[in-house]
Amino acid sequence: MFDTALTTNDLIFLAQGAGMTLVVTAISVFFGTILGIIFGVIRYQVGPWWAAPLTFVLDVFRSIPLLIQLVLANAFVTTVLGWRISGFTVACGVLSLYTAAYCAEIVRGGIEAVPATLRRAARSLGMTWGQDMTYVVLPLATRVALPSWIGLALGVMKDSALVYIVQVVELLKSTQILITRLQEPLFLLMICGLFYFLISFPIARLGGYLEKRWSND
Amino acid sequence: MKTSVFAAGLLAVTAMALPAQADKLDDIIASGTLRCAVVLDFPPMGSRDASNNPIGFDVDYCNDLAAALGVTAEIVETTFPERIPALMSGRVDVAVASTSDTLERAKTVGFSIPYYAFENAVVAREGVEMATWEDMKGKVVGATAGTYEAIWLEGKVKEWGEGEFRPYQTQADVFLALSQGQLDATVATVEVSEASGNFPGIKIVDKAPMVPDYVALITLREEYGLINYMNLFINQQVRTGRYAELYKKWVGEGEPANLTIQGVYR
Amino acid sequence: MFNYNFRWNQALNSLPQMLEGALVTMEIAILSMVIGISVAILLTLFRLSGNRLLYAIATTWVEIARNTPALFQIYMVHFGLGGFGIHLSPYLSLLIGIAFNNAGYLAENFRGALKAIPETQTRAARSLGMTPIQAFQNVILPQMLRISFLPMTNQMVWAILMTSLGAVVAMNTDLYGVTSDLNARTFRTFELFAIAAVIFYVITKVITLSARLLAARLFRY
Repeated sequence: MFDTALTTNDLIFLAQGAGMTLVVTAISVFFGTILGIIFGVIRYQVGPWWAAPLTFVLDVFRSIPLLIQLVLANAFVTTVLGWRISGFTVACGVLSLYTAAYCAEIVRGGIEAVPATLRRAARSLGMTWGQDMTYVVLPLATRVALPSWIGLALGVMKDSALVYIVQVVELLKSTQILITRLQEPLFLLMICGLFYFLISFPIARLGGYLEKRWSND
Repeated sequence: MKTSVFAAGLLAVTAMALPAQADKLDDIIASGTLRCAVVLDFPPMGSRDASNNPIGFDVDYCNDLAAALGVTAEIVETTFPERIPALMSGRVDVAVASTSDTLERAKTVGFSIPYYAFENAVVAREGVEMATWEDMKGKVVGATAGTYEAIWLEGKVKEWGEGEFRPYQTQADVFLALSQGQLDATVATVEVSEASGNFPGIKIVDKAPMVPDYVALITLREEYGLINYMNLFINQQVRTGRYAELYKKWVGEGEPANLTIQGVYR
Repeated sequence: MFNYNFRWNQALNSLPQMLEGALVTMEIAILSMVIGISVAILLTLFRLSGNRLLYAIATTWVEIARNTPALFQIYMVHFGLGGFGIHLSPYLSLLIGIAFNNAGYLAENFRGALKAIPETQTRAARSLGMTPIQAFQNVILPQMLRISFLPMTNQMVWAILMTSLGAVVAMNTDLYGVTSDLNARTFRTFELFAIAAVIFYVITKVITLSARLLAARLFRY
């Protein structure tokens, strides 16, 4: 099994794919989180009635396969609107919104976990809404939300395997390219799977650890 | 608020859509690059060398076209099912991707005259009893999703009413499934079947009884300037002997396929 | 206004085919959940058993399912097992791939749920004369399923979404497969996938609603 035609060149090629996976993930998680926080706060702040349109849109992103979201967004932006943008941009855009849809839920859950009495106490001490959010809600909500957020970020990394559909060559796609040439499917797929595992596993463990540590008080 | 943002978006869209009306031929020459969609798991037409750079008949053909236009070629790898979406989405200018000129596709994209013609062969796994193409009846067969062969084979399986058809995403997956024994047989072009000798345990059984599979260059349907240019380019490739030269380089000895059809105008 | 001519007619003509595909999608999602829940309970028992080998098997399963892409898992079920001469049809490959993923995530949810059930309950059940199996089955399991009901509904939605990955193993009878097959013929990408998206949305809503109704019936005490 270890008698392979894999060369250093090929490993570099795989590493480039892995780099693309990480770049797409980093960009999407970054923008997705910012948007998610904004959407989450809005949803909590304006109440279920006024937030209904936003809730609906976010729910759509969680109810349709990512693959279809990518195909549709790509077809819409480039074919229907006729914009000349790269597959990379489409991939990051869709993944950011996808991340935001889940992140908004996490953020809302985090805010709701802060006892209302505590917030009323903060406001009656003369804190403004902004101060209340920054000094009371943020630290407490983060504790609740961070483990789920880590899970989300890892989920996005794994889901980024689907961006091959808009011609972005990430890890899984570069593995397939090598399989085509070298005809060693199992060996190469093992390497690819191992890479995902080596990144995801320690971070997932960290998330589990934080969850355990922070839920004790 | 939402509607006003949407309206602003639409305005921006219309504003951006207007200048995009320029002729694609002009755009390519002005931009200095010709972006070609090429399928790279389809040797000898398209594959990768040891340093994972694109090579093959289609790659050379794209380079020739770019040279004729006086621009540099950029090879964009696509799979068979993705090549027309990539073209439609403007990610590439043309597809030099062994695209069969079906009438269904011509509703959406613009075809040049044929630049190559394939014969298709039935390829089976060793150990499967098969003498002629008709022995595929009742077997598990597969081909690359969205190709001419796949459409023909799926039609046959439906007509026979027995057996199973499986469309894989890439040619490599088809041969992999075949050599693993997931498939009993497939239909693929003779050139590709012969070039894919590195898959163990598969053999060519018979020619498939299909009309020769004429393949053409494609671009957007309305780009007549470019289509006209490509037609002349293909004519020149044959006339200058470059077509025969590329055939010898990638396919092998012998006479390259005749690209004209007796008794009809194009 | 747009440079693009929509051809909704052509796409809508394929609606019956797509709806048939939707049934297959629902079938796979539901079956994969049934298998996933059963296996997840088994994995949970493995982890509780105190047997090192069983514990290792369960942990490996859970960690692989949770730390690699689902697309990779489905591809491996088809071509990975295929390398060992185990040939699964596209349907089975997709079903088993999703069930594998479901089981991994659910087993982890179950573990979390178990923590919320006091150990004293097991001891109480045992002192009433129940065998360990009886105690698990009658006391722990119902509570565990009840606590992890929400994560289970989420997993169900993911199972539906994951069926879209079947194309890599040549699956062409489910909703995504049918749509991409039609797309390969006609290239009306936007129209076809927009319809598929709507159908997927409806399926997820129908399934989550029925799960809620089911929960209301099962858990009313």
